[in-house]
Amino acid sequence: MGLFDKLASWLGLKKKEVHVLCLGLDNSGKTTIINKLKPSNAQAQDIVPTIGFSIEKFKTSSLSFTVFDMSGQGRYRNLWEHYYKDCQAIIFVIDSSDILRMVVAKEELDTLLTHPDLKHRRIPILFFANKMDLRDAVSSVKVSHLLTLENIKDKPWHICASDALKGEGLQEGVDWLQDQIQIMKT
Amino acid sequence: MAAAASSAPSSGSAGDGTRATSKWLDAHYDPVANLHTFSSCVTLADLHGDGDYKLVVGNFGSTGHEMKLKVYQGTSLLSENTLPDLPTSVVSFLMEQHEPRMPALAVASGPYIYVYKNLRPYFKFTLPPMEPNPMEKVVWEQAKEDKVDLLSMKEMLEAIRENAEMPLSVQSLRFLTLDPPEMDSFVNQHKSQPIKRQTVMTCMATLKKNRVDEDAISCLVIGTENMEILILDPEAFTILSKVTIPSVPTFLDVAGQFDVEYRLTVACRNGSIYILRRDSKRPKYCIELSAQAVGLVRIQKNIIVACSDETLRGYTQKGKKLWGVTLPATPITLGIMDEKFQSFQAVLVALANLEVHIYRDKNLVNVIQVPDIVTSISFGHYGREDNTLIMTTKGGGLIIKILKRTSTFHKGDTAVGVPVAQSIKLSVPKKTKLYVDQTLRERESGVAMHQVFQTDLSRIRLMAARAYVRALECSMTPVSESLQEPLKLNAVVQGMGPTFKLCLNLQNMSENRAVANLLICFVYDENRYSIERPFFKAPMLIPGLNYPLATFVECLGDQGISDIIKVFVLSEGNSRPLLTAHISMPVSEGLAAA
Ligand SMILES: Nc1nc2c(ncn2[C@@H]2O[C@H](COP(=O)(O)OP(=O)(O)OP(=O)(O)O)[C@@H](O)[C@H]2O)c(=O)[nH]1
Ligand SMILES: [Mg+2]
Repeated sequence: MGLFDKLASWLGLKKKEVHVLCLGLDNSGKTTIINKLKPSNAQAQDIVPTIGFSIEKFKTSSLSFTVFDMSGQGRYRNLWEHYYKDCQAIIFVIDSSDILRMVVAKEELDTLLTHPDLKHRRIPILFFANKMDLRDAVSSVKVSHLLTLENIKDKPWHICASDALKGEGLQEGVDWLQDQIQIMKT
Repeated sequence: MAAAASSAPSSGSAGDGTRATSKWLDAHYDPVANLHTFSSCVTLADLHGDGDYKLVVGNFGSTGHEMKLKVYQGTSLLSENTLPDLPTSVVSFLMEQHEPRMPALAVASGPYIYVYKNLRPYFKFTLPPMEPNPMEKVVWEQAKEDKVDLLSMKEMLEAIRENAEMPLSVQSLRFLTLDPPEMDSFVNQHKSQPIKRQTVMTCMATLKKNRVDEDAISCLVIGTENMEILILDPEAFTILSKVTIPSVPTFLDVAGQFDVEYRLTVACRNGSIYILRRDSKRPKYCIELSAQAVGLVRIQKNIIVACSDETLRGYTQKGKKLWGVTLPATPITLGIMDEKFQSFQAVLVALANLEVHIYRDKNLVNVIQVPDIVTSISFGHYGREDNTLIMTTKGGGLIIKILKRTSTFHKGDTAVGVPVAQSIKLSVPKKTKLYVDQTLRERESGVAMHQVFQTDLSRIRLMAARAYVRALECSMTPVSESLQEPLKLNAVVQGMGPTFKLCLNLQNMSENRAVANLLICFVYDENRYSIERPFFKAPMLIPGLNYPLATFVECLGDQGISDIIKVFVLSEGNSRPLLTAHISMPVSEGLAAA
């Protein structure tokens, strides 16, 4: 980082850029969450299942996020690992009402955590236990238990219950992520 | 693993041991789901057209009396409809083209098909009545006019039942089961009604009407107890086609489209499989199984059938047998596993030994352990997952497993017949001229060669015997043969020269007799060697012990030459030695180096 950039970010003129990967099974609500985090005039009206991935940007008070919104469909999940190297944080979205596929989410998470590109890196992982508004949804505590998040010892993580349709719980998660990234940078 | 096991903690341990190797994730296990059913009554369908596939089960209930149509979403029960009778088959099919494409459910039960749309009863189809037996008709007409008494009526109906080709109506059959006191009221109640004869359905399947797409409308194909196969129009429920087959159908597989070309494969109660084509009025091919079929699936163009004689067999669509394998236990039910992403197709065989075997052609590619005997098995879309395996068990349990995304199955040896190894060419060298000549010679003068060999062999033996005798005569052997003094001697030379240490190990081999008065004498070239004690007396030898006797040998002269030193073991007063040993002395390195 050049002196000018440093100065600019000091003065809050230019925000630090961070690359974030948004992962999770198909239909978990990844695109809906990212969409909600964008400024209201930039939000898309209807959301369709993502094909491959799409790149979205949004800003918080001090950071500028570039999010890789990956498709969660089985046939695209092998794309995920190609982006592990360059990401500085991960957002992992779980559909809290899809109890049947909780094992699949866990399997994908475990594979991710043991991947050579991530295994030894202390990058923050933010979990959204999404769709908490649905009748069948289980609590975020239950989700973290089902995914055995307590076993993640070498990476900072945080889980938030969220309702991406109304935007509830999203800010809490993003604030945590912002703090983590700033701790890491300094 | 035990993610969804929240409702069933017992599933926790089942998969743990095999977790590292298992190709399946344990998504759900409810041992008390109270699902009692067979594969034909289980189907997976996107009932609401939203991509969230539901599980539809025609349930018999634990007693066989609480028949219900149950629909599951994810791990929980979504809806229940009471069924009036035991279901024989449940299928989902698209009746019409409108959007959204929501498939209807058809439940075959007795002579009826109950059609549900949106999980609500929509239509009931009844099999057309059959012509009753004319003689039976006459009997009931007489009863109507009170011209016949009950007992002779019973006799007449029994005679018809025994002899006539055409079965009796349900009404007559019920009459025959009654006790005399009940007969009168039964006849009075029923005599004015015309007798009807109706058959029941034994199996049902779907057949695409005119398009191959997944969301094309389908006809229903049903097999009846009356040995007929009927094809029904999905909108009007009229009978489009009807064929008679030689026996009662039990399993049905359908391929093709109604308007174009189709093929029906029907396993029947007589242990045969019949194959019918569009427009064929009779079965085109027949496979005689020599055992009862337990299940039937089609993988691409091959028919795979499990039989009650613990075999799984593959046939071509023309009925030619391709392969057969013996199963480790009785098969209970069969399902097809169609993994679209890797286009892997295999057959799932639930066995009585608490295992589900997956065969790709004749090759066993995977074994799943199950906690209870599986009575129904289906694989496909469930919830939002593509590759889900759903099984219900004898005890009423529900097991849901999901194929891991990274699982692969070895495709096995797909070639039919000869194993690959058999067709690998070995590089056998050509027969040389020498080899051919040799073989010819052996063939011609075999006898002479044998004789020459035998003479040579005898000569060798003779020479060996002579050498042995000579050795014994001059006591050259290191083991003495004399009966009084059975001795063993071995000598070791130590050192590099010019002084060597010569160690003799003398041992008395007799059982219990000590040997005394032995003398040791060295014979050597005195110009070359000088020995400290060239002649000495050996101590008395106790049986079994080893006596090391050492002496020093000085090598004289400075030519690096070595010689032999002879050791004699003598007994006092006898000039013939008991033992002799020749010691080849090493070259004196001390001198050579100097
Ligand atoms: N009730 C409810 N529905 C939600 C919520 N979040 C997302 N959805 C719905 O879930 C569906 C899938 O959302 P997407 O954002 O497309 O899911 P995705 O994770 O991006 O899926 P892929 O792109 O296929 O990987 C949409 O119909 C959303 O409206 C939520 O918090 N509550
Ligand atoms: Mg998406």
